[in-house]
Amino acid sequence: MTRKILRNVGVPILSFVLLLLVWQWVVVGFHVASYIAPRPRQAFLAVTQNWSALWPLILGTIRETVYGFFVGAALGLGLGVIMAKVPVLQRIVYPVLVLSQAVPIIALAAPLVLILGFSVTPKVVIVAWIVFFPVTVNVLDGLTHVDKDLLNLARVYGASRWRTFIHIEIPATATPLFSGLKIGATYAVTGAIIGELAASDGASLALYQEHANANLNTAAVYGTTMVMTAIGITWFLLVVGVEVFATPWQRRTVARRWRRR
Amino acid sequence: MTLLELRDVAKTFGDTIALSPTSLAIAEGSFVAIVGPSGCGKSTMFNVIAGLLTPDGGDVLVKGERVNGTTGHVGYMLQKDLLVPWRTVEDNITMAKRLTGRVSAADREEARAVARQYGLGDFLRHYPTALSGGMRQRVAFMRTLVTHQTLLLLDEPFGALDAQTRLEMQQWLLQVWRDTGRTVLFITHDVDESIFLSDRVIVMSPRPGRVVADFANPLPRPRTVDTLIEPAFIDLKTKVMRLLHREDA
Ligand SMILES: Nc1ncnc2c1ncn2[C@@H]1O[C@H](COP(=O)(O)OP(=O)(O)OP(=O)(O)O)[C@@H](O)[C@H]1O
Ligand SMILES: [Mg+2]
Repeated sequence: MTRKILRNVGVPILSFVLLLLVWQWVVVGFHVASYIAPRPRQAFLAVTQNWSALWPLILGTIRETVYGFFVGAALGLGLGVIMAKVPVLQRIVYPVLVLSQAVPIIALAAPLVLILGFSVTPKVVIVAWIVFFPVTVNVLDGLTHVDKDLLNLARVYGASRWRTFIHIEIPATATPLFSGLKIGATYAVTGAIIGELAASDGASLALYQEHANANLNTAAVYGTTMVMTAIGITWFLLVVGVEVFATPWQRRTVARRWRRR
Repeated sequence: MTLLELRDVAKTFGDTIALSPTSLAIAEGSFVAIVGPSGCGKSTMFNVIAGLLTPDGGDVLVKGERVNGTTGHVGYMLQKDLLVPWRTVEDNITMAKRLTGRVSAADREEARAVARQYGLGDFLRHYPTALSGGMRQRVAFMRTLVTHQTLLLLDEPFGALDAQTRLEMQQWLLQVWRDTGRTVLFITHDVDESIFLSDRVIVMSPRPGRVVADFANPLPRPRTVDTLIEPAFIDLKTKVMRLLHREDA
């Protein structure tokens, strides 16, 4: 058990530290000018020293990411279920969904601003636009591959379609569903930042970075990138955490004690 | 009393005759084994009896009532145990209740009692992935038992087990059958198994399948490993084997 925790937590931390070391070593060893790349410490300081200015912007990005993720996940799950249950709809809707992903996200921003203005909504839409697709594809795939014999067994018991769906099909799709959610979680922040770049008029993390860049404040540029990455990783880890919690059978042999229903 | 009756039941898939018109009567409380070459329509017959398939011709009667194409009147078990990995052993046993209504405290207690009685009491809170093949099949059988169906259809339930485990499972099944007095229809490819377990051995022809012989099994119960070398056993086995391998001879 402790070995497992060490491997699952220790190794990622180690690779993170290694990354910082390489960064430090490249910048110092190759005498990289500080306006091209700062040392890790300078980037950190650029974040911590401006924390009071950054924090509201970070909150804004988190809000866009999280709202967009939930909208996208719900939409993705719904579309996946509907397409799995109504094959005719699948034939009509699926090509449209594929098409939606072929649209360059940047090119999506301008019409969204025209329609929705500069509020939080266009960013949420962009994030959801990115997130729903892997969820839909995975859910559809999961639902269409539920063991036919298991479904037949449910019929032999005299189970209704609804109960079969809730007690068999949905849990059987848990693994692909979480795969889709994890892919979505990784891209969610990217969507939020693109949205901020293309569709903000006021303050945002993306614009903060643009200003830093314009002012040749290289440390702040790198620092902001680190902050954005941290938001993405945190969100991804939260989704992984929910998966671990929601699918105990994947790594336990005995059920948790309180799991008594 | 006749529990199950098939009257000229037939099933065709496109151009394939999966089951030629077949008639059978199964007495309540009996243990009937069905053997026949692969693809002769044994599983199709079960699917028709269970109501998963509607017969193209003929009638399926349970306790005299026509049940063509309707479900909910048999317990059904396949070679694949079909345990769901996201439920514990206990919750797998109560699966049928969960799918048709509420799982009551009494249902849980019954599941625990059955598991304890048949040697899985220590595994109630385990997930199925932690169990061996034989244990999984036993859980699948308990899940079938607690549906309280009198008629149990078992389609090669031990087909995937090794010889040692299979023999244990056969003796275990006979014990459960004696305890609970259910009616069992049992498909197998193993002639020894069919004779060891049954009161009656039904032999089917190659596709399109129909019943070619219906042997009463004279062997006394309880049966032990010694049963396998009794003259009456060898005699019946010879008859069944001759029928099954007519073409090869
Ligand atoms: N759903 C189906 N659609 C088309 N053909 C089918 C279907 N189910 C079974 N068949 C065909 O019907 C015939 C009988 O199949 P069935 O599964 O009943 O045989 P079986 O006796 O159970 O064989 P085995 O001993 O190998 O399990 C086979 O030729 C099979 O290909
Ligand atoms: Mg079969």
